[in-house]
Amino acid sequence: MLMLAIFAALVAMICINVPIAIALALAGVLGLLATEGAGSLVTIALDMYDGSTKFSLIAIPMFVLAGAIMNAGGITDRLINFVSAIIGFIRGGLAMVNIGVSLFFAEISGSAVADVAAMGSILIPQMKKRGYSKELAASVTSSSASLAIIIPPSIPMILYAASAGTSVEQLFVAGVVPGLLGAIGLMFVAYVFARRYDLPTEEAFNMPRLRETFMDALPAFSLPVIILGGIFGGFVTATEAAGLAVIAAIAVSVWYRQIDLAHLRRAMLDGGMQTAVVMLLVAASVLMGGFLTRAQIPQQLATGILNFTDQQWAILLILNFFFLVIGFFLHSAAAIILVVPIVIPLITAAGIDPVHFGLVVTLNLAIGQQTPPVASVLITACAVARANIWEVSKVNVWFVMVLVLVLLLCTYVPSVPLFLVEYFYR
Amino acid sequence: MNALLHRTNCIASTLLEWITVLLMVGLTVVVILAVSARLMGQSFFWYDEVAAIMLAWITYYGSALAALHRRHIGFDSVLLAIPPRARMLAVLVGEGLVLLFFVLMARAGFQVLEVLQGDTLTSLPWVPVQFTQSVIPIGAILFIICQLLSLPDYWSKTARGISLEHAEIEEEVETEMDKNKERG
Repeated sequence: MLMLAIFAALVAMICINVPIAIALALAGVLGLLATEGAGSLVTIALDMYDGSTKFSLIAIPMFVLAGAIMNAGGITDRLINFVSAIIGFIRGGLAMVNIGVSLFFAEISGSAVADVAAMGSILIPQMKKRGYSKELAASVTSSSASLAIIIPPSIPMILYAASAGTSVEQLFVAGVVPGLLGAIGLMFVAYVFARRYDLPTEEAFNMPRLRETFMDALPAFSLPVIILGGIFGGFVTATEAAGLAVIAAIAVSVWYRQIDLAHLRRAMLDGGMQTAVVMLLVAASVLMGGFLTRAQIPQQLATGILNFTDQQWAILLILNFFFLVIGFFLHSAAAIILVVPIVIPLITAAGIDPVHFGLVVTLNLAIGQQTPPVASVLITACAVARANIWEVSKVNVWFVMVLVLVLLLCTYVPSVPLFLVEYFYR
Repeated sequence: MNALLHRTNCIASTLLEWITVLLMVGLTVVVILAVSARLMGQSFFWYDEVAAIMLAWITYYGSALAALHRRHIGFDSVLLAIPPRARMLAVLVGEGLVLLFFVLMARAGFQVLEVLQGDTLTSLPWVPVQFTQSVIPIGAILFIICQLLSLPDYWSKTARGISLEHAEIEEEVETEMDKNKERG
């Protein structure tokens, strides 16, 4: 009864636009008052401090900063030129370029909005000029940016790993194969649209041009080499890779002579504010988590569902549906921090690999970024394209279907996400 | 009155921006130094504790700045869908709840500081824990001030049915479009 009342209060606060972090903290305070009395309120300060000092989350400001520096550092144009030289000869080449660059670029910064605004503002106007409908241009940009949420480095994955107590490095590795499969699927849908509407190719394949664009973009490739190579090779942890990514991002931007102190200050500021917003959620979740643990809510939920079914496929189906719905209404960071600690005992009891489940959660939330009412990535792409969100959604549904197929594949064929994890770590 | 509020907002924003930037620079330097040292076979005994404290400081000073610009993650679809009179009442209740939480946090923060008198960091015994944990009451008070300073703008936008998230997205898109125009 108490739990229901607190949950109702939490939902009511979120509905009147109390920031989700504060709503979560207040729900925790209510639980504290109800179970421990007013004398325990001093816990607020202790929990809010402990929650904001989680060492493993230091990777967040570093990756956010690397992404913000990249955004300001002139890397986007060069990547677009390079990817265009590789796949621009295919019909609908600009859509392919959009998807290819997104994989490299988006979600690094933790602010998909900033990434879509930065990349979409270059590619969407070009796509419109080349005869793409504004709805198709927005759909390609939006869906590929959301797919990138599962390509390392990914802030939601770092948050999941901290919430679930699992390895962020393994989660990063698990995202690679599904990310590539998803990109191929999105490119296929874009190709079908390109054939249907007779969209143009961009440039004939030309080896000297490929070499020239590759050399121009070469310094930018130091980032994935450091991040993926360092983590896959076991040389560095995720936090260390994040620190090295910052050095590389600064070095590359200086090399391109497109960053100055004002840009760097802006990047630091964006990075700091983004980090603070996510970390306040994390800190607030400690207050709420304390109450949930005392009331044994996660354990009760696990027992309840396991009494209903102990089949892994059925549990995954229930959780998939749950996270998909949650993703409609909450941003990925809030959804992970709010829900993952509650369902982890169930995952453990059902014998589901937490790394596998982490990828399933992240993919669900990627789909959630494409579905109104809370669809910040889709809304940003629509704002850049000057397109109506509902008209875009009619086209985007085909791209979202690819994401759903990847989700189902990853959910029911665990070897797809776990193949590389097994190879590198187990 | 509007000019005074605008000026106060600008001063608060500039001050918090500089604090956040300096903390980010500090954390970046510490992480980079520690990673470089580790790759060379050394390690700093103070790294974990100091980096975690800096993260906490970024959390609370950055949160106050985010409150000033209303950037904390929320969900305004339901609020904007309800009739204006009820909507504005809900805004008042919501703002009251936010302020209540930070008043409680500030009070608890001061109580904890009293208890911690004399304690020092494990890795750096010359740094009092009171200093590092002062971020909780100070952060709470700053959040309250920033929330109040940004309330008039939030009130006016919500009364007109404007979503803050959509306004932020429009602003971001305009900035990027302008940048692209400059690049030609």
